[in-house]
Amino acid sequence: MKNRIVSEFLRKYWTNYLWGTVFLLLCVSMEALSPRYLGIIIDLLKAPVVDTHQVMRYVGRILLAALGVFATRFIWRYFIMGNARNMECFLRMKLFRHLQQMSVDFYNNRKTGDLMAYAINDIGAVRQSFGPGVSLILNGLGMGLISVFSMAKSVNTRLTLFALLPIPFVVFIIVRLGGTIQKRFRTVQKNFATISDRIQENISGIRVIKTYVQEEDEVGRFDVLNDRMKQSNINMVRVSSILTPLIQIFFGISFTINLIYGSSLVRAHEISLGDFVAFNGYLAMIMRPVISIGRIINIFQRGMASYKRLGEIFEVEPGIRDEIPPSGSMERLEGNLSIRDLSFRYPGQEEYALKDININLKKGRILGVIGRTGSGKTTLVNLLLRLYNVEPGKILLDGKDINEYSLEELRENIGYVPQDNFLFSDSIYENVRYFNDRYSDDEIKSAVQSSMIYQDIMEFPDQFETQIGERGANLSGGQKQRISIARAIIRHPPIYILDDALSAVDTRTEGAILKNLKREMEGHTGIVIAHRISALRKADEIIVLDHGRIVEQGTHDELIDQEGLYRELYQEQYGQEQRENMENEAS
Amino acid sequence: MKHPEQKQHSLLRLLKMSRPYWKVILGCVVCVIAVNGAELYKPLVMQKVIDDFLVADKPQHGFSSIPAMGALYMLLIAGSSVLSAVQINSMTWVGQKIITDLRRTVFSHIQRMPLSLLDKYSSGRLITRATNDVEELSEMFTDVLIDLFKDVFLLIGIVVIMVRLDWQLSLIGFAVLPFIFLITNFMKRKMKANFVVIKRLTGRINGFFAENISGMKLVQIFNMQREKEGEFQELNDEYYRASLTRLMLHSILRPAIEIFNSLAIALLVWYGMGRIMNHTLDIGVLYAFTNYIKQFFDPINDLAEKYNIIQSAVVSADRIFEILNEEDSLEDYDSGMHLERLQGEIEFRHVWFAYEKEDWVLKDVSFRIQKGQTAAFVGATGAGKTTIINLISRFYQVQKGEIRIDGVNINDINLKDLRRNISVVLQDVFLFSGSIRDNITLSNDISDETVAEALELSCADAFIDELPHKMDEMVMERGSTFSAGQRQLLAFARTIAHNPAIFVLDEATANIDTKTEKLIQKSIENISRDRTTLIIAHRLSTIRNADMIFLMRKGRIVESGNHESLMELGGYYAQLNAV
Repeated sequence: MKNRIVSEFLRKYWTNYLWGTVFLLLCVSMEALSPRYLGIIIDLLKAPVVDTHQVMRYVGRILLAALGVFATRFIWRYFIMGNARNMECFLRMKLFRHLQQMSVDFYNNRKTGDLMAYAINDIGAVRQSFGPGVSLILNGLGMGLISVFSMAKSVNTRLTLFALLPIPFVVFIIVRLGGTIQKRFRTVQKNFATISDRIQENISGIRVIKTYVQEEDEVGRFDVLNDRMKQSNINMVRVSSILTPLIQIFFGISFTINLIYGSSLVRAHEISLGDFVAFNGYLAMIMRPVISIGRIINIFQRGMASYKRLGEIFEVEPGIRDEIPPSGSMERLEGNLSIRDLSFRYPGQEEYALKDININLKKGRILGVIGRTGSGKTTLVNLLLRLYNVEPGKILLDGKDINEYSLEELRENIGYVPQDNFLFSDSIYENVRYFNDRYSDDEIKSAVQSSMIYQDIMEFPDQFETQIGERGANLSGGQKQRISIARAIIRHPPIYILDDALSAVDTRTEGAILKNLKREMEGHTGIVIAHRISALRKADEIIVLDHGRIVEQGTHDELIDQEGLYRELYQEQYGQEQRENMENEAS
Repeated sequence: MKHPEQKQHSLLRLLKMSRPYWKVILGCVVCVIAVNGAELYKPLVMQKVIDDFLVADKPQHGFSSIPAMGALYMLLIAGSSVLSAVQINSMTWVGQKIITDLRRTVFSHIQRMPLSLLDKYSSGRLITRATNDVEELSEMFTDVLIDLFKDVFLLIGIVVIMVRLDWQLSLIGFAVLPFIFLITNFMKRKMKANFVVIKRLTGRINGFFAENISGMKLVQIFNMQREKEGEFQELNDEYYRASLTRLMLHSILRPAIEIFNSLAIALLVWYGMGRIMNHTLDIGVLYAFTNYIKQFFDPINDLAEKYNIIQSAVVSADRIFEILNEEDSLEDYDSGMHLERLQGEIEFRHVWFAYEKEDWVLKDVSFRIQKGQTAAFVGATGAGKTTIINLISRFYQVQKGEIRIDGVNINDINLKDLRRNISVVLQDVFLFSGSIRDNITLSNDISDETVAEALELSCADAFIDELPHKMDEMVMERGSTFSAGQRQLLAFARTIAHNPAIFVLDEATANIDTKTEKLIQKSIENISRDRTTLIIAHRLSTIRNADMIFLMRKGRIVESGNHESLMELGGYYAQLNAV
């Protein structure tokens, strides 16, 4: 899978690398010309009679070469580095698309922060490999080969060999020290991550810290990490700071060899003064790419590691997918639901989350579901929405197996109000219509009225355009829940699912919303899941779940009369007095 | 504690932070000058070899010989290499000192920020300030500071040597400089604009990505994949275009400077040629000049690059100082009356409060809770119940009226003492990473017996005894392995262990199963037995036994009394109970 992604990219854009390499080689060879020209000029100037015409020609050539280098360098950078940017955006889009297909199960096992690291760090590291990494290698190879070749060919082979003698040592040192530097660099990064985690935790828990007056202790604990971070940085620099000086010393030997041996060759008339000067120029040219070897290794190691991690993510197949190719037709369901002998275990779990569930819900009826935490209520919803795979023949909608609907079609027909109230950082308006422009403003207004949030919205200064901050920070839990409800109502779906959707609103508002919902749900099928019995008032039928099984079933009155779990829950939640109140209301 | 430099440019303020280390920095400057000297002397050695021994063929003896020159050359390189290693290490030490101090300052500053300020900055922003933004500055101190010296000295040194060697040639060499400055200046302006765009886009892309992951379940259930993908594609494309612009700008600037480098050499040769012919100029000098010209451009390039670092350092510094500048509003832990142990009598006197301007959340609220009583606050969402908690702990300041505890205005009580005496348990219980024990003691010196007793009284012992490591079980992922109810019980244990005079509870509305709910009720009973207790209630069933019930509506207390008297009153409370 991962190989496919890069090869897919390369197949599409390989010509960029081809042209990039061509221009890079052109660029390097032109760069290698100028030490040669300078050498020739020096020789011309040294002659007893200076041929000014010749000198000017070479001066012109130096300028031409410089212009050529400028143009070709711009072009190769555009091709190679630009392609790396292209790659970055390509990968990011791919990752985004891929993540959108991943099932809830996938997200349960991974933290948002970790997934973000893929999008930011890993894609960045891959880009570094494909851009600067590739160009440094090509540039270094080209530059080194052409310089050595020019030195040996046009100056003197023996001198070249002597002068290049220290280079293998340089490479050895870079590789050796490079390893140590990287190890220490990783320690620095680890310490930085620890510090970041600590700060993040501290800020998230700042209220507790303030309540218990822990500020100074927190600073004390932070100091320890902070000092560790400092020390690791100093340790790293202790090694990295000697790398470049060491390289310089070894190259210094090369320069000195040229100075002593090279000048003796000049005096012996084996090479000209110009050759001697050009040789010095070439040495300087080789030095730069050699120094960057350490950086290249680093870039590629990081790139490879990131590439592997990305590959692992891309290899995860979407857990839930359409069994049949989506037909594109979007049928509106009637809303008859039947569940037959449904049992379900979460992947990797031994215990059944649901066992032998049988439900028959006719169009227009409202089913209440109640049970303690962990009794399987939310699992039931997860399966109805096909957030997890269901065996064929277990859940039928309008008599057809839910696996035979496309995901889009299935979910389009369900109006879901979740337990947690996640809102996008956008306007209230967008959060109600959910980025879907087929709803008119009137529809939006009527939806928010039904969910009892209209008044609140009108009281905000920007009304519908009010921006919802970081995870909806400026709204209360109840307000967020009511927006979530409006979001479901606006679609007028054949099936409503309310998953404990009224937990954060007070009982009074709850009553009003339920009343409106009852009206909205007229003729629609509804599944209302709740902890509080008060939220089930409008249900036609109620099932009681316990440890994944339906233990009781019936209307409120029937269930109250049974000496079972429902009655127990009821009594826990309402005292004797409350019960009287409720019966008063009913009568 | 006002700093006069508050309005000062961030860069200057950053530089001032290095003042305590001036001795080390001075040492580094000396090293750098020595290194520069060696760098500058190298071409002169070369020139001497060329002119004396290769062109003129002077006799070699003693120091004036090619091998001696070679040895000198090598010595210069070795010496400068050692010195630069020393300098880098020292400067890193200085830089790390400054950065570590700064990080600590930012962190402890955040600790002292009042909630009103913390709300203003999102948590994500604060985290970035204390981590990435501080880190962004470290390069500024370790590299830039000293390299600026280095580059400037090198430039000056080159100019001096060139002029002393031959002032006419120097003028020719410098002729190209104005063009370079013009180009650099022009390009820099473009780059800066582009830099801002890219930074903004990166932020938006990351934000969008993270939010989409958090809300993925909804995206899928509501079939929004296509819309979201389209939005993302747009952002991504915009970023691509901006990054290409960045690439092109960078591909032009440096190579353009190199063209001028070649142009300068061309000019030198063209002019030097005539003088070499009439023997007023040595070839070695001309060659040295070409070397110096090359060296001359290196520090210029370098300065241009350092400019980028400084630029992003200034951005980060601005953001850090923005936070550090909020000095006046910091919480004051030192002043105020020291009261070791409060009794717990609470009184609100005509309290008015607004989070923003005149948007009153509490309007003329007055009530009194006797020591040891349990009081409950009831009302619709947004009635102002939660605000009362924030005010008692002085997380926010009241605008009008006053709050008294034990008859003392809370503004006069030392903040630390006040908060130590009040324990607040919020709806969403926050657990720190660490063991359960750490979460209860909060790393304070609290004995095991006290912790065990606290666990028992809070009814948390039952589920903790079932954990493999009991009290030493590590809390994973902020406690997400515990249910909301269990987390609440742990928070109660935390409260009991710290034995506050006043206990404030914002009742959880989240899904708590009835069994745990019962434990919670029992636990609340235990806690409230001998201390003043405030409960922000979301359900009526839990507060029936409260000594006082306050009914809030739109920021006012509309009814108060105990359950019986309120039911008798037949008002709002009775109505709520009837639903």
